[in-house]
Amino acid sequence: MQQVSIAVDIFIQQILNGLSIASVITLIAIGVTLIFGLTGIINFAHGEFLMIGGIVTWLAVSAGLGFALAVVLAILAVGLMGYVLERGLFRFTLERPTNGFIVSLGLIVVLQHVVVLFWNPNQKSIPRPLTTVWEVGGVRIASVRVMVILITIAVVALSFRMITASRYGRALRASVEDRDTAALMGIPVRRYITGVFVLGSALAGLGGALLIALFPITPFTGGTMVMKGFAVALIGGLGNIYGAVAAGLILGIVEGFSAGYGFSQWTDAYSFVLMILVLIVRPHGLFGGTSGPRMAS
Amino acid sequence: MSLLAVSDVITGYGPTIVNRGVSLTLEKGEIVTILGPNGAGKSTLLKAIAGLIKPRAGNIAFDGADVTGLAADVMARRGVVLVPEGRKIFVDMTVEENLRLGAYARRDEAAVEADFETMLSFFPILAAKRRDRGGSLSGGQQQMLAIARGLMTRPRVLLLDEPSLGLSPLLVKEIKAIILGIGERFGASVLLVEQNAGLALAVASRGYLMQNGRIVVSGPIAELRDMSLMRELYLGGVAG
Repeated sequence: MQQVSIAVDIFIQQILNGLSIASVITLIAIGVTLIFGLTGIINFAHGEFLMIGGIVTWLAVSAGLGFALAVVLAILAVGLMGYVLERGLFRFTLERPTNGFIVSLGLIVVLQHVVVLFWNPNQKSIPRPLTTVWEVGGVRIASVRVMVILITIAVVALSFRMITASRYGRALRASVEDRDTAALMGIPVRRYITGVFVLGSALAGLGGALLIALFPITPFTGGTMVMKGFAVALIGGLGNIYGAVAAGLILGIVEGFSAGYGFSQWTDAYSFVLMILVLIVRPHGLFGGTSGPRMAS
Repeated sequence: MSLLAVSDVITGYGPTIVNRGVSLTLEKGEIVTILGPNGAGKSTLLKAIAGLIKPRAGNIAFDGADVTGLAADVMARRGVVLVPEGRKIFVDMTVEENLRLGAYARRDEAAVEADFETMLSFFPILAAKRRDRGGSLSGGQQQMLAIARGLMTRPRVLLLDEPSLGLSPLLVKEIKAIILGIGERFGASVLLVEQNAGLALAVASRGYLMQNGRIVVSGPIAELRDMSLMRELYLGGVAG
């Protein structure tokens, strides 16, 4: 009997741990999948956007600001960065998305080293914004993890509502499906591209703020996170925002299990094994993706 | 002054020149057709007028203003709208969403609702399929949806690219009635590109014959119908 209840404890805790990390990854994956869906650009620097969100949060908290305010600053700062990079760099690569991909590879190095230059390469952390640990029937639940999951659910629900119910969301989905035909409807597709870069970057900024609430980060944290973000986006079907969220959930559960049942050193590999398996069986992802934007023929 | 005037337009993709100096006009209330064999440059010309591609040279004027090289979304807002070849329905969206996308740039909400109802009564099949995915419609139904979606923008010029492509003779007849109704029901002038000369000759009042990127013949439909040159160049080349 005792054995069973301990197993349940571990089970629930690991699922919770898995879901809190998956939340951060899902926030990256949404940005990755939206930007790809609309522009065909695979933005590998998205992980650095996340890392900078974490750095901004660290700077703000270190300067004595509250965590909530630091999160808002991270969202705004990285959103603004996304705007500047789209206007200044990525828009020149819209006709050739491969160039955008290469630009993003260069950006990784630049962004990492700018951070190292100003704030050294060491690990950075903030005090946990919520320290309460609830004990529910022997299960220890860290409130900070619950906070991360709830914030992500709220943001994802809000994004879904915007995308399904509003006129702008409808126009965005139309632009993802067929950029040229969307333009024929009078939709200013270029402005939507800028908007998606800003939204995707802001979500990465939020992800970074939530990540540093869970773990310390370094200027090189972006790499693994973006790889997992891509794995999730690919599993869900690149360009498919619903797929990204569903795949994020699946990954969270899988990683939770793997950490809880003795293979924790393999945790990072699971998302990729899952991705490879899914892509072998369903090349367009579990929920079907787009093949990127249709170009003017 | 013509509603739409295309002067000496040259278009191309990369090293390939498609239109080699095309001029044509469309007056208010007219239905005009551009006929010609496959690859003559008809669709490319429509794309240049609609703003999907920029002309290399030449001039496009709409309602007295120079609109050469304006982007497609700007042209749509001004009232020049292309219903593209192959319908290009948003397959993952419902029929209703497709129609509402046509009204994206409009702010006259009451008129949009009225137009929406008009489309449902003008195209009864769309009313029946209102909540279905665009991709689940048949080719003919998709064509109706594409035209209705185009009309939802409240165009002053509707550019129709091969609306009869792949449709059964019965459906072509329906499309014919719809095109004839566009002028009176919705007040739009129509520039129609067709391979199906039968349809084009039945609805248009004037026509241009395009070959190798140039207009080779133009005139009233009755004249074009009689021309032996046209028969040789074009009608003879169409099977059936």
